[in-house]
Amino acid sequence: MIRAALSLMFMPATLMAGEVTVEAPVVPLAPPGAVAHAAYFTLANTGDTPRQLIGVSAEGYMMAHIHRTEVSGDVAMMSSVDALEIPPGQSVVFAHGGLHVMLMRPTAPLEKGGQVELTLEFANGEAIPVSAIVVPFKDLQAHGS
Amino acid sequence: MRLIAAVFTALLTSPAIAQVQGVMLDEPVEMPAFAFTNELNEEFTDQELLNQWTLVMFGFLSCPDICPFTLGNLEAAVSETGMRVRPDNVPKVVFVSVDPDRDAEAVTDYAKFFHPDFEGFTGERDQIDTLIEATDSFYRLLKPDHTGYYEVQHSSSVSVIAPDGTLRAKLQPPFHPGATAEFLARLQIQYRKELSQ
Repeated sequence: MIRAALSLMFMPATLMAGEVTVEAPVVPLAPPGAVAHAAYFTLANTGDTPRQLIGVSAEGYMMAHIHRTEVSGDVAMMSSVDALEIPPGQSVVFAHGGLHVMLMRPTAPLEKGGQVELTLEFANGEAIPVSAIVVPFKDLQAHGS
Repeated sequence: MRLIAAVFTALLTSPAIAQVQGVMLDEPVEMPAFAFTNELNEEFTDQELLNQWTLVMFGFLSCPDICPFTLGNLEAAVSETGMRVRPDNVPKVVFVSVDPDRDAEAVTDYAKFFHPDFEGFTGERDQIDTLIEATDSFYRLLKPDHTGYYEVQHSSSVSVIAPDGTLRAKLQPPFHPGATAEFLARLQIQYRKELSQ
């Protein structure tokens, strides 16, 4: 947070306007035995400059990565995403079957209604904290799968 | 490969049908002998395929996105199917992990997280390969990264096996509950027609 505050202070005025908001951050309840699961949300760039998401970290996990699911023919595979551009005025959706934050090796089991604390890191040095709510799968499906 | 070609053809030739939930096979495919097990020492063999409908899904427990949503959607689809077919025709869902080294101790727990009637199994590599090949499915374990973690590529479709133990269809993502249930109900009607001929 100190880093985020400092970077905000020293940013030129035009970048100050470049705001990224995080909507509906959720983590579906992980099934037992899963050493990796996912977080989903929508990133909206309400500013007038492009923004680049370059990393993510998660409390209570050994690692977190930006990932993309790709289905080629019948085969599902995943690839790592190093940097993700969010053009001004646009949103990027992290959702099942596409972009997701892969959360690896949780140190404690998740509980429904709990929270996973994420930090999204941007190329301009800004770090945005995100509290993702742990929800049952059924809740996500009801929101359209 | 013949099946995959059929899937592509179905997807390419019917772009108007956005909700293609499955592909029926032209000819039923016999299943070979196989045997899987789980942490409760239960067995899943080719004999368990007889006298009921079975949906077989391949995956792995460390799969963050595709596997949990597929199982979650299958739960909803099977529940929908229950409203369209007789209770003894509601399919059994079997999750087969292709990653026994990491999953053998938790595969049942994992499957039952989505529905208490779901079953989870894994087994020896040759048994996995046998069922993968017989259902024209695919998987590949990728090289481990510096932490030892490895990813697994796998078929996203689900194999539908009829009460005579033969593969009859493949369900395709997104496994929309209503459309998938409709597909399964139609498949069962066609199956009964064939039997009565």
